[in-house]
Amino acid sequence: MNILTKQTYMRLSCVTAVTVTVLTIMLMTDAAAKSPRSDQQIAQERQALLEAVAKGDGLWHDGKLGTNGLACGNCHPDGSATNPHTWPKYQSNLGKVGTLREMINWCITVPMQGKPLAYDSTEMVAMETYATFAHRGVAIDPGKDEQHGAMPVAGGPGYPTH
Amino acid sequence: MKHISRRQFLGYSMKAGATTLFTGILAPSATSFFGYGGVAAAATKKVSPFTFAVLTDAHLYDIKDHKFDKFLEKAVADVNSLQPLPDLVLYAGDIGQSGKESELSKGKKILDKLTMPYKVIPGEHDYYLDLGKAWRGFFGDDHWSFDHKGVHFIGMNSILVPDFWTMAGLTPKERMGRMEELECHRCGLWGVGEKQLEWLAADVKKLGTDTPVIIMTHSPLWSYYPRWNFQTYDAPEINSILSKFEKVIAIHGHVHQVVYNQFGNTTSAGLLSTSWPWPYPPVDLPYPEYKMNRVDPGDFEDGLGSHKVAISSDFSGEVDYRAFSHLLPENVKRGLKM
Ligand code: HEC
Ligand SMILES: [Fe+2]
Ligand SMILES: [Fe+2]
Repeated sequence: MNILTKQTYMRLSCVTAVTVTVLTIMLMTDAAAKSPRSDQQIAQERQALLEAVAKGDGLWHDGKLGTNGLACGNCHPDGSATNPHTWPKYQSNLGKVGTLREMINWCITVPMQGKPLAYDSTEMVAMETYATFAHRGVAIDPGKDEQHGAMPVAGGPGYPTH
Repeated sequence: MKHISRRQFLGYSMKAGATTLFTGILAPSATSFFGYGGVAAAATKKVSPFTFAVLTDAHLYDIKDHKFDKFLEKAVADVNSLQPLPDLVLYAGDIGQSGKESELSKGKKILDKLTMPYKVIPGEHDYYLDLGKAWRGFFGDDHWSFDHKGVHFIGMNSILVPDFWTMAGLTPKERMGRMEELECHRCGLWGVGEKQLEWLAADVKKLGTDTPVIIMTHSPLWSYYPRWNFQTYDAPEINSILSKFEKVIAIHGHVHQVVYNQFGNTTSAGLLSTSWPWPYPPVDLPYPEYKMNRVDPGDFEDGLGSHKVAISSDFSGEVDYRAFSHLLPENVKRGLKM
């Protein structure tokens, strides 16, 4: 460090000062900060996730996505056989490598004769969240040829959320 | 043919009962005369071979020209085309989807096209809008027995859950809505209940242990996957009442899939629906070799079908899955030995 010129030294300390200041501001406002988060914050985020699961559970079962009375839950109880951990993959009904969201829309439009959801809609996000949450802990394995059972999700309307 | 009314049905059982009595008197003495003796030999003499058909889980909606209407019609046409014609047809529950009178009457109209007599038990989808009122209006008692060619047939209502709706203040429609979900979180486990257990005990009391028995319930008589009510909570009591018999064949709906099990004196088979197939639940199957293949969601008939059951003179049985599409592996296509 003894070979640092005075100039370089000055510049470095300047950068350090700015960095420290920015970090301090980030920690203080904690809007952009990811970690560490307070327990309360973590609980709130968990709650937001579970609300999306619950919304998805509702959409999954109420049949409103289709026009022939069917709901996803008719054929996919607990979200089983949607296999979120295997996506993206080649799916023969899609005829290409597609995503879970594309397959959700395929099942809305084909067996349920409904209108597809916008991929970035809160409904689509909720659908994906429900299916994926029902497979929490299952190892991601794109393209795996597997029909997977699902874990119970206690999140739908009228049900206790945990 | 019309659904068997109570009157017709009594006549029918009496005729069949007479046959049983006749063979019941003659057969054992004949076998003992020739020195075969033994209960099993007596049993083999009692059945004159026959076939019957089973349909289940049509889940008809109150929507005009719904695709499920066509599937039930197709299954009925398939049964009517069988050669030889089955002697009778059993229907294992879930005719409707939401328990509406319109769904049940639509179902009855289609089933009435069967050219042979048929008997029905309720599924949860037939029942929880009005607690079986409309269903009973169309189909009569929810549990029954009759004798046919030496076999004692029993049908029971296995979908009775303790009251979860009164305390929760649910409307009939909300109650039905809950029950429509296979994974209903608050509906609880179902079974036949005390009254039907008493009825069953009385029904089989006078029957000899060598009487061949076929029992149909909506849900399996073994604990398969309770979370989806792939179970009957008082099945142990039912099985114990039937344990005096040498052999019992059990068939059930509700699971919308091929599934097989053996326990005690009983062989059990689950049936294909005519609405949609269900994936296997996340548990090990007792007989994993009897399983249907994954279904193509683009082929709405895949995983659906009707069934023919053949009963031989020794009361061995075979369940033939008559799948609309080709989802069955070779060993299942050959039929399940019961
Ligand atoms: C009439 C029955 C039926 C309905 C209703 C239905 N699906 Fe499907 N779906 C199937 C079948 C059958 C498969 C194939 C299962 C398999 O791959 O083993 C399938 C496959 C899928 C898959 C892909 C699974 C895989 O690994 O390839 C996803 C995802 C899916 N469905 C989501 C949905 C969603 C979301 C809904 C509601 C919008 C829905 N499905 C409604 C029958 C249905
Ligand atoms: Fe069913
Ligand atoms: Fe059912």
